[in-house]
Amino acid sequence: METMQPSDSALISLYIAGQENAFAQLLERHKARVFTTIMLIVRDEDVAEDLLQDTFIKAIHTMKSGRYNEEGKFSSWICRIAHNLAIDCFRREKRSPLLNLDTTSHAFNSLSLAEEGAEAAMTRDETHARLRELIQELPAAQKEVLIMRHYGDMSFQEIADATGVSINTALGRMRYALINLRKKMAAQPVFYDQNLYPRDTASVRVQRIAS
Amino acid sequence: MIKTFTHETLLRYVYNELPAKEQQQVENALLHDAELAASCADLLLAQRALNNLSRTPSQRTTDSLLQYSRTFLRKE
Repeated sequence: METMQPSDSALISLYIAGQENAFAQLLERHKARVFTTIMLIVRDEDVAEDLLQDTFIKAIHTMKSGRYNEEGKFSSWICRIAHNLAIDCFRREKRSPLLNLDTTSHAFNSLSLAEEGAEAAMTRDETHARLRELIQELPAAQKEVLIMRHYGDMSFQEIADATGVSINTALGRMRYALINLRKKMAAQPVFYDQNLYPRDTASVRVQRIAS
Repeated sequence: MIKTFTHETLLRYVYNELPAKEQQQVENALLHDAELAASCADLLLAQRALNNLSRTPSQRTTDSLLQYSRTFLRKE
């Protein structure tokens, strides 16, 4: 039987009332989204760990001091803090794009090799590393919407408000971000993971012969 | 007559942002419109690919935050 999970709002109330376990649940629920958002911007695991801490420390201070605004979703709020901190950090350090691009070593690899074949794991890691690079190649506005919507759990309207554009512009940017990613992935078959984008080559061949 | 939907509407559909009535309309259209269904499948595959990039911070960082929160509570 599925157990009902307390809402973020309920957990925040419990946390403000002094129940530390409520914060542990909030952290567990949102840390991956926040961390992924930061990683896609700063591309350095150590920096991302630091920024994740800064993000949640800000949240702790805001909630414990009674300044947390109940309007809107906690997930959007926390990811917006993370996004802003990551962008600030990125601008401040003016990172070289070549710095720490070795994403095959430990960054983003959360599964152990024991759980799958070594070759399959390598292919998967290469595909994921390439996809991350392709996200970096997107125009800044498209990348921003993609990260905010997919990892930051912000609605398109919230993104529109945060970035000062109309919702249709935010939707358009997301649409083109996905189209661009798809095109770039398809243009490089070596990275075209059949598990992610299955292609029935046999049926394609039959159609071509028939036409 | 089957209503046509834009890619933007489909995007909002796959991200669960459509009002219930419009969501139902999209789902009805998906049953009859193969092109729309293919576009929707593309979006869902892209979502899945992006989901695969998700990762978590180290346990050390998580533990530090929990410790910080407990300490902050004592200060108050």
